[in-house]
Amino acid sequence: MKSISLYEEKGSILNKLAPESKILYIILALVLPAIVGSKMVSVVFIAISIGLLLFSKVLKKTIPILGVSGFVLLTVVIIQGLFRAGNVTPLLTLGPVIFYKEGLLFAFNIVVNVLNILLSFCVLILATKPSDMIENFVRKGFSPRFGYVFISVFQIIPQMTETMATITDAQRSRGMETEGNLLVRIKAFLPLISPVVMSSLINTKERALALEVRGFNAKNKKTFLNDEKKSSADKYIQITMILLLIAGIVWRVVGCLK
Amino acid sequence: MSKIVVENLKYKYPATDFLALDGISFSAKAGEFIGIIGKNGSGKSTLCQAIAGLVPNFYKGSYGGKVMVDDIEVKNVDISDLCEKVGTVFQNPFNQVTGSKLTVYEEISFGLENLGIPKEEMIQRIDEAMELLDITKYKDRNPFDLSGGQMQRMAIASIIAMQPEVIVLDEPTSQLDPQGREEVYQAVQKLSKKGITIFMVEHNMEKIASYSDRVLIIDDGKQIAYDTPQKIFSRDDLDEYGIEAPAFTKICRELGKKNPVTGCYPVTLEEANDLLKKDKGEM
Repeated sequence: MKSISLYEEKGSILNKLAPESKILYIILALVLPAIVGSKMVSVVFIAISIGLLLFSKVLKKTIPILGVSGFVLLTVVIIQGLFRAGNVTPLLTLGPVIFYKEGLLFAFNIVVNVLNILLSFCVLILATKPSDMIENFVRKGFSPRFGYVFISVFQIIPQMTETMATITDAQRSRGMETEGNLLVRIKAFLPLISPVVMSSLINTKERALALEVRGFNAKNKKTFLNDEKKSSADKYIQITMILLLIAGIVWRVVGCLK
Repeated sequence: MSKIVVENLKYKYPATDFLALDGISFSAKAGEFIGIIGKNGSGKSTLCQAIAGLVPNFYKGSYGGKVMVDDIEVKNVDISDLCEKVGTVFQNPFNQVTGSKLTVYEEISFGLENLGIPKEEMIQRIDEAMELLDITKYKDRNPFDLSGGQMQRMAIASIIAMQPEVIVLDEPTSQLDPQGREEVYQAVQKLSKKGITIFMVEHNMEKIASYSDRVLIIDDGKQIAYDTPQKIFSRDDLDEYGIEAPAFTKICRELGKKNPVTGCYPVTLEEANDLLKKDKGEM
């Protein structure tokens, strides 16, 4: 079955780490540059993220993600480089087009921030099984009901897409036009979506019953079939990251006091 | 002692104006295999859900009479507590997949995790249940990738692993091929021999006739009869309730061959065979 999760098991070090370590990494990668106030820190984190992704053999999967945002970023660079208010120092002249230093620097900051956010999230998303992450949260006291909602989405949505395809086929076999120009598609939308919604509602009721008889609402403490996802390195990694964060804060505070 | 006692059970779904169940009373002993038959919409599924406590605790609605499992009245306990005693398998295998687990093995663990069973015991129970329903070979597959029959067997295994004392199966074999159906019946019969009380809704009368200890006929929410399969299928008014007796019974009825001891028509191949052989010998 097709999953909407981007995760892939590669047996890499990132796969073996606890999800918490990776979440902490995201927090560090986003907060530390702001605390220290230097773009260089962001660049370092981008390099670390790329290194980690490369090492986990999932760098390739970031290409489509970067492709979409890359297009937006390119327009940012062009617009800011050409037209930003306060552009005075010409840096690059291509015929009649002049790129200015101030605008490009501003655009560079945005690009660095976006890349940093995207890549650090990729470190988590591409290398963590969603159910492992939620299960670790549930172990730490997160509500199992919400946990169920988050995990089941990954399977229920592809399931609904499949139902949608079945219904489309069924309606088509009865002579309904589902392909063609925009108007045809809009007209086909209602007869397609209403059976999907209705069947989903019925399925949800039946699934609720089935969950109920399997103790979904049991009040006793849950146990887990799978062991908690963590490695011996996790503790050290988490401590190191927290120390780095504290060091960043101290450095900034001391810098201000001087 | 009776494991399950149902006393004058009446039930009306919310926002309807007819009784889905109307005055059902019966009892079943531990280890009994009870078949529930009747036409579509007669209240079979509602009765199943009443035994599991889903009626009235999940649906609400008006409820009268009582259902006792051991000495617990199901109305007064949470479904999540009752599910340790009464397991339920539904008709549609697809909607019984939780959707939160990625493999068959983990899927079966869902109920056990909720009940707080320690890991070692969980593994042992899952292995046992998978063995019993012959799905060990699918253990690492995604639950949604199974066929209907495999999925249903997984659903049954998930319930069996919770080790309830009563199992209610609501048309569990409607998605299965004849061989799969036979396998499920064999597995369920094994459980029944272990002392688990079984309630089975089924449209296949040959299966009901050969496996049930007693059969309950429901029509329009009312209890028509509760007796041994031989007596049930020897009734003359089965047509009225949309029930067709097993082929062996029909043949013997046409031939006028009754079992001289019980005064009933035979309901299984073996019984019919014995009776006809005996007749031949006498001739």
